[in-house]
Amino acid sequence: MRNFFFKKTRQLEALIYNYLENLGMTQKHFAKAMNICLREGISDDFCFLMDQTHKFESRADDIRDQVNELMYSRALIPESREDIMALLERVDEIPRSFEQILNMIRTQKITFPEFLILDVQELIRVSIESCELMVKQIDVMIKKKVGVRTLHSTIDQNESHCDHIERRMINKLFDSELDPFLKMQLKELVIVLGEISDQADRVSKRVNIMAIKRRV
Amino acid sequence: MLSLLGGIFLGWSLGANDAANAFGPAVTSRMLKFWYAAVVAAVFVLLGALAEGQAPIETLKSITSLSLKQAIVSSVAAAATVTLMTLLGFPVSTSQAVVGAILGIGFMNRQLDVSAMSKVIICWFGTPIGGMLIAVVLLKALGRLYNRLNTDLFQSDILLRVLLIAAGSYAAYALGANNVANVTAVFVGAGQLNIFWAKLVGGLSIAFGIITFSRPVMETVGKKLVRLDPFSALIVVLAEAITVHAYTLVGVPVSTSQALIGAVLGVGLVKGINTVSTKTMAGILLAWFLTPTIACFISISLYFVINLRYVPSG
Repeated sequence: MRNFFFKKTRQLEALIYNYLENLGMTQKHFAKAMNICLREGISDDFCFLMDQTHKFESRADDIRDQVNELMYSRALIPESREDIMALLERVDEIPRSFEQILNMIRTQKITFPEFLILDVQELIRVSIESCELMVKQIDVMIKKKVGVRTLHSTIDQNESHCDHIERRMINKLFDSELDPFLKMQLKELVIVLGEISDQADRVSKRVNIMAIKRRV
Repeated sequence: MLSLLGGIFLGWSLGANDAANAFGPAVTSRMLKFWYAAVVAAVFVLLGALAEGQAPIETLKSITSLSLKQAIVSSVAAAATVTLMTLLGFPVSTSQAVVGAILGIGFMNRQLDVSAMSKVIICWFGTPIGGMLIAVVLLKALGRLYNRLNTDLFQSDILLRVLLIAAGSYAAYALGANNVANVTAVFVGAGQLNIFWAKLVGGLSIAFGIITFSRPVMETVGKKLVRLDPFSALIVVLAEAITVHAYTLVGVPVSTSQALIGAVLGVGLVKGINTVSTKTMAGILLAWFLTPTIACFISISLYFVINLRYVPSG
């Protein structure tokens, strides 16, 4: 009975979880691609994983379009509608960053210098952890009215940690003897890498507000 | 039948204006299509009028005794006041306009039941205050209950939508039960209609107003209310419905708009937010005094005009 009357709401719920699952796949392929890139540079495997990341990123866009279409056809009350649309718009920046990073590496043929590899690995590990926590936080916010804040504080700590790694990497870069052009190229890439945890933190703050709004 | 036209017009404008207080939030937020809301509101208004419309009709009838001509005068005076105040942009109360008009006729007749009159005026004071108090209690009690519910975001959404539709239907029922007296009580007093027909004609004319002309008002009022979060909007509609229904049981027709504004203020009080602007408040207070006064003045003037006699000088 409930499914009959609130079919759109149920469809929407399925789409949102589909979107989050897809985000997980994008993350997974991005992390694998970066690990391969750090190990063996731009190889066929890297290109394959990059294409896979792009495929999942495009699918994320498609799902978001479907969510928006449902929203405009009266699924959910306006406040939830507005919140969910804004949330997905912010989350969507993350797969976009994944794609942008891999594109930069491939088109600009970037190879990481030895002294940066450990930091890049650490930055990716913490950023991916933030993204996973963010997805978990969204799930908690949807399912319960409490428990969101704890996850937010971990994501916030991760973001500070990533900022610290980012600064350290940029310092190392400019202290090195690398060609100035390479320094600028790598600096730009490091900034985009650092943007992942920043965006996860921004999403997390938004989720926190949504959780507060769920209580009256 | 022709003599009832003034009352039917008043009922039509009442339906067009006041259905917004019940279903405005649900329609503006696109939870319900206008046509569904209008049909549900019309059905519940008619149900309310038929089931519980008698007590307010008895009260209004008892303020003064009217002839058919006087009943028509008071209906026209009330309708003219409502139209004038709407054109001036004031939040108008049809109940106050009707009572003001009856009061005018009562003055001219020198037949006024002071105790019935004072009961009505006391209830006017009580309407916004009642709405406010009920909203405060509901917000605290239902808020606590809602926070304890172990529902996910989508279940909460479904729950709020269902409750808002149920509260809107209840508000429409209370509107019909309470305000049908404004439309046809004078004709019962004048012996033109019996109670059943008064309830039926009144209920149908309000329902007709809802179906034909409530859309613009519903969308305007709804937008103002939707600025509140959905739960607060639900509390406001529910508090308004309970307030109006309570006065129906007492037998006094009151303003649904004033009950609604009181409820909005109550929500603002609990949440510590400014829900109604000073300008809106000033408009409401001014209308509160102006509506019965203007209606009284118009009905006295009309009464005077229709009783003019040509007396040849020679």
